[in-house]
Amino acid sequence: MFKRIRKHLGREKQENNSGTVPMNADDPLPQSIDKVKEKLEEFFSDCSDYIQREIVCGEDNDVRILVAHIDGFVDKKVLNQDIIRPILDYFSCSDRPYRAKYVYQLVKSCIISNNEIEEIESMRQAVYRIVSGDAILFVNGSKRALAVGVKSPHGRQVAEPDTEVSIRGSREGFVENLSTNMILIRKRIKNPNLKFEIIQLGTQTNTDICLCYIKGIANDEIVNEVRRRIMKIKTDAILDTGYIEQYITDNRLTLFPLVGNSEKCDKLVSKLLEGRVAILCDGTPYVLTLPYLLIEALQTSDDYYDHAFFATFMRLLRLFALFISTLLPALYVALVSFHHIVIPFKLIITLAASRQGIPFSPFVEALLMIMAFEFLREAGVRMPKTVGQALSIVGAIVLGEASVAAGIASNLMVIIVAITAICSFITPPLIRVTMLLRFVFLIIANFFGFLGISLIAVVVIIHLCKLRSFGIPYMTPFSPLTISDLKDTVIMAPIWAMITRPRLMLQGDTQNTMGTKRQEVNKISED
Amino acid sequence: MEKARISGLQLFMLMTGFLLGSRLIINPATEAKNDGWIAILISGAGGAILLTLYTSISLLNPSRTLVDILRHQFGKSLGNIIALFYIWYFIHLASLVFRNFGSFLVTTTYPRTPMEIIIAFFALTIIYAVNSGIEVMGRLSEILVPIVPVSSIIIGLSVVTTHDFTAFLPVLENGIKPVIKASLNLLSFPFGEAIVFLTIFPYLNKKKSLKKITALSVLLVTGLFLYIFFRNIIVLESNFIDQATFVPHVTSVLFPGINLEPLFDVIMIIGGGIKIISTIYAAVMNLNQLIGAANYRKFTTCIVMFSVVLSIWVYENIFEVFHWAGNIWFYYSIPFQIVIPVILLILSLVKKGRSQNEGT
Repeated sequence: MFKRIRKHLGREKQENNSGTVPMNADDPLPQSIDKVKEKLEEFFSDCSDYIQREIVCGEDNDVRILVAHIDGFVDKKVLNQDIIRPILDYFSCSDRPYRAKYVYQLVKSCIISNNEIEEIESMRQAVYRIVSGDAILFVNGSKRALAVGVKSPHGRQVAEPDTEVSIRGSREGFVENLSTNMILIRKRIKNPNLKFEIIQLGTQTNTDICLCYIKGIANDEIVNEVRRRIMKIKTDAILDTGYIEQYITDNRLTLFPLVGNSEKCDKLVSKLLEGRVAILCDGTPYVLTLPYLLIEALQTSDDYYDHAFFATFMRLLRLFALFISTLLPALYVALVSFHHIVIPFKLIITLAASRQGIPFSPFVEALLMIMAFEFLREAGVRMPKTVGQALSIVGAIVLGEASVAAGIASNLMVIIVAITAICSFITPPLIRVTMLLRFVFLIIANFFGFLGISLIAVVVIIHLCKLRSFGIPYMTPFSPLTISDLKDTVIMAPIWAMITRPRLMLQGDTQNTMGTKRQEVNKISED
Repeated sequence: MEKARISGLQLFMLMTGFLLGSRLIINPATEAKNDGWIAILISGAGGAILLTLYTSISLLNPSRTLVDILRHQFGKSLGNIIALFYIWYFIHLASLVFRNFGSFLVTTTYPRTPMEIIIAFFALTIIYAVNSGIEVMGRLSEILVPIVPVSSIIIGLSVVTTHDFTAFLPVLENGIKPVIKASLNLLSFPFGEAIVFLTIFPYLNKKKSLKKITALSVLLVTGLFLYIFFRNIIVLESNFIDQATFVPHVTSVLFPGINLEPLFDVIMIIGGGIKIISTIYAAVMNLNQLIGAANYRKFTTCIVMFSVVLSIWVYENIFEVFHWAGNIWFYYSIPFQIVIPVILLILSLVKKGRSQNEGT
């Protein structure tokens, strides 16, 4: 059934796309500047930010050059100093002879002092370059035009990302500007093997997507697969890497993230060095990393900068927190409604006392409190920061004190929801998954107790075992078990002991990769 | 056949889980009373022989599943008929395990829940697992099965405070007869049931290690049986074991300080889950091959439903199940577990010899 729906959706989208192709101009550039002007004015009619300027100079006013650009997108100072001034200077001096025929060549090779010059041949390219922030020079009588990169640096300064805070390590986070992000990566990997492939996506937005990997470390098959899937995307707009993520993910009907994302440069670089592929997108600081494995949710960049003992302890703590955040309310409900026998006798007395006078069953109580917490969390995310304090006070009083005093929830329930809430923030990539699973487990615990919880847990495990991220099983290295890769999982080896890279990611012909593991990678092509 | 491969470790775990199966909730070799350890040792040795028989058949007919082997050795029509009987046997086996676990949960933890509901819920999980394919089943057992021995060892170490280390003496108090009976029983259930794995062996990625894996698995399982037996008899003594329905459950009730038995009960289900998964998978794959359909997943739901209904209809109560499993199952299984495999082995050996002669 899902297939049918998907097909239907797909068809609709394609129809949309075919109806709104932005330009039909694949024709070559006209030689006469007047015609160019006419066409451009047609394209950019009602675009108040479009600016074109005609320079007429030379001895008999026979040199005509049209400069077209988008206002504010280009750096006007640079445009004037590097392009327009030299042209005017050159052609107004009468002692410099020139032939009208070679004006274009002259402009291209000896007049313009900007380094970023490209020749373009079609109207489509010209228009595209204008809207992406270049200045275009049309010289009268020439079949080609020059695109000069004078984009003004816009956007935020590089700053510490709010979403991923680390105690130690670099504080640089990615910004919205693609070229800045590329520099941030290149700064850390000074190596020509670091490749950046630019792909344009989106029939309306023409967004620059950048595929980034280290040749020789990243597995070629994975890189090719990523490229193939990106090329297959047919959409009119890419506004964030989140769009790409949804298009290229292996399984579109799963709760679990099959594509990782990060805002931190050092984290991304370490992923690249492990052989992963990154996808950058112009306009968003979030960078995708693939393939993404479940274990990455437990890893933070701090782990590698700190002593392995502490890191191991933190990993264990995070794993434990992950279990608590999904299972604790369900376990409580199962214990209270089915398995009182498990609760120690003294606790059961206090429990009974605290539940006295509460009109709801433990399940309803848990559901109410968890819902209240989810409301608070969502409100906290969306609200302006200045109101945040009021929210936290309201939350603390309402959830903590008043609900107990009013006899809606028991003290123990408040503690359980609080612990669950705290633990759910410990593994940020899985925060939404645990939220949904918490409800599922809660409901099933109300009907079947431990049996229900464990059977649903088995279903979740089966699902996890089924998942693949770009051909790599999601549960690697636990299942299929890869013993040499266990060094960087729950128990972490010190950084000097991590001699080999993760096996599955490796380039095929590196000696560390085994034949059996390659089969897993080869599966991509079969799928 | 699916285009899939499982690793040696995965097969080992799958097999260990399968062999532990229902014996995690039903005491191994109850009939032999305090001579159970002898029965376990005998049946372990017999189990090793049986599994060697099965692995030899599989190795002599490389990358053929049960239906293929039967067809190849007996001819198409006779092979098909025998394959049908095997499919029935697997379904019956699955329903027996379903019933065991349904009754177990209803007796111990969920006295007020209808057994049908519990079995049905259990069955839904199993359908999902079987439909995910052999690779996922392998990975699943890789994660889940290690929990079982660890938890039973934890229980054993915790209850050791209430002990009587001489409980298994005197040796052969009641003569050799009950020991033989118990060991034969244990031989057919679970070791002989590993005939199911003839469908799963061809998926192993390294054929060479097949015998090693099965031998290790039988060794581990025999060791665990011995451990469970001694644990139970030391803590409970043989008279009590004779009276209790689900002995390991009673042992876990004795866990000091805190009552964790609902948790342990749930853990014990893992063995049964793995057993039903393997059995249903074998039944479904063989049926699929017999009919020649493209996708085995279409059969899973009906076969699981069938064995669920069978498990509820066929037996009146748990004592009837025990009676059936203890007294009749062995004779019922002889053709499937011993007679046909032996004939298969002889036929395969003859065919192999003939083809080698022709080759030279």
